[in-house]
Amino acid sequence: MTTAQPAPAPLTRPELVCPAGTPAALKSAIDAGADCVYVGFRDETNARNFPGLNFNRRELAEGIEYAHGKGAKVLVAVNTFPRAGQPEIWHRAVADCDELKADAVILADIGLIDHAARHHPNLRLHLSVQAAASNPDAIRFYADRYGIKRVVLPRVLTVQEIAEVNARIAPIETEVFVFGGLCVMAEGRCALSSYATGQSPNINGACSPASDVRYTETNEGITSELGGFTINKFAHTEPAGYPTLCKGRFIANDKASYLFEEPTSLNTLAILPDLIRAGVTAFKIEGRQRGRAYVAAVVGAFRQGVDAVLAGKSLPDIDLDRITEGGKQTTGAYEKAWR
Amino acid sequence: MRPGQVRANVKPVQPPFSPVLLLGMALKPVRPALLQPVFDGVLKMLRRRHPDILDRMADYASKPVCINPVDLPFVILLDPNPDDPRLTVRREIDPQEVAATIHGPLEVLLALAEGKVDGDALFFTRRLVIEGDTEVVVALRNAIDGAGIDLINDISAELGPLARPFRSCASAAVDLLGRIQDDIETLRTALIAPAVKDSNAQNARITQLEAELKTLRKAARRGGVA
Repeated sequence: MTTAQPAPAPLTRPELVCPAGTPAALKSAIDAGADCVYVGFRDETNARNFPGLNFNRRELAEGIEYAHGKGAKVLVAVNTFPRAGQPEIWHRAVADCDELKADAVILADIGLIDHAARHHPNLRLHLSVQAAASNPDAIRFYADRYGIKRVVLPRVLTVQEIAEVNARIAPIETEVFVFGGLCVMAEGRCALSSYATGQSPNINGACSPASDVRYTETNEGITSELGGFTINKFAHTEPAGYPTLCKGRFIANDKASYLFEEPTSLNTLAILPDLIRAGVTAFKIEGRQRGRAYVAAVVGAFRQGVDAVLAGKSLPDIDLDRITEGGKQTTGAYEKAWR
Repeated sequence: MRPGQVRANVKPVQPPFSPVLLLGMALKPVRPALLQPVFDGVLKMLRRRHPDILDRMADYASKPVCINPVDLPFVILLDPNPDDPRLTVRREIDPQEVAATIHGPLEVLLALAEGKVDGDALFFTRRLVIEGDTEVVVALRNAIDGAGIDLINDISAELGPLARPFRSCASAAVDLLGRIQDDIETLRTALIAPAVKDSNAQNARITQLEAELKTLRKAARRGGVA
């Protein structure tokens, strides 16, 4: 006599949270199938404070109107750490998000979170990856104390660990990165770029700021520098990368190698079913600093991927190599294939 | 040579064999001043339809950028001063005049302006080379990408009753260029076929030699004869 197996629980549709560095990218993301876009103001209140990027207040209001008209949400990252004694622009940013009816703000600094919870009680709060909350106790503290509704998990957990965290923190939502650049360091605490440039990614909002980046073409290839330090030399036949210190190629024991991390992008298309089964609420695509062609390509690929999983179909085979740093992809800590 | 790193007769990106390259050869005798009205018109159109570009470039008003379409015999000088922006076509530019230079084939530069390709991806694969002040180049890339430029739509909108004929002509020209590009690719493939065959044979030989070298090194490490 055989016992009938219980039917698997229906899969919950995760939100696809997509990057938008400009109004055009916001439209591209939504038109390509984003459920949410995340954006930042044109100042140091967000961790992608790059030249020529981001939204002024008018553009954000128009962006929210466009998104809501298409049934999508807009999340605003105010995820840098206010300078001691000068929190005004961060407070202003949170107040403007509330006034412009953003669907949520993504915060990292505990003082700013406390301010937002006290002064903007109706504003939905998400915890940024910059807060580096990766265990149930830390996450529950933010939820119990400040009413955080969702946490963006640091890219250090396996899929199994994410499932376990989800089981212990419900109904707090989790959001995980599914594509884009990777930080090998503890996010929100990395000082490598500060050391090389004197500007902090966590306060000024730009890791490896363009003002300190220099590329020089030589007969042998291209040399990249950050703050006067040589970070890498690429032969003409090699894919180039950003001059971030964690992805630099350095000489140790007479051998040039990537001591911390190779220029590689996260891509989880192949493990989307596992992430959905782990109970993740939202899938986040990194790359507010990238153009609208990147946004459209990656969002389109993940829209197809998520829809295929939910429909019980096989995953689409979509090549995203051409838009990844270093031309290489990894599933990173989700599988920890190096162990 | 810094800051703008524009070097006479130096092309950090090899121009592709394309209709634009042939057009560039034909344009060699043409004085840049004769083309200037076209660029004046483009700038006027951009200022009217996409004022946000200069707004996003406001912090870089005193940092002109050289745009070098490597398949054409001239370069373009963009002066982003919001009070008096200029788009000037020149045969060449003194590196001291500009903060940065962007090198790339015309087709790639136009696709980038229209947001059809990702600037970072072009840079990773070396189809685009930047030199000089990286900050102003990033600002320009973001400003243009964020504007949502669509050249045919934008120009049509400026032409009033001539918009429809312009669209038809532009569409026909794009089709024609595509066909010419296909023909040129066929020609290019035929021309280099013998060289590709030799190269493939050499690659196979190199792979074989590398495998033999690896075996010999292993044997040497085990104390055998190297």
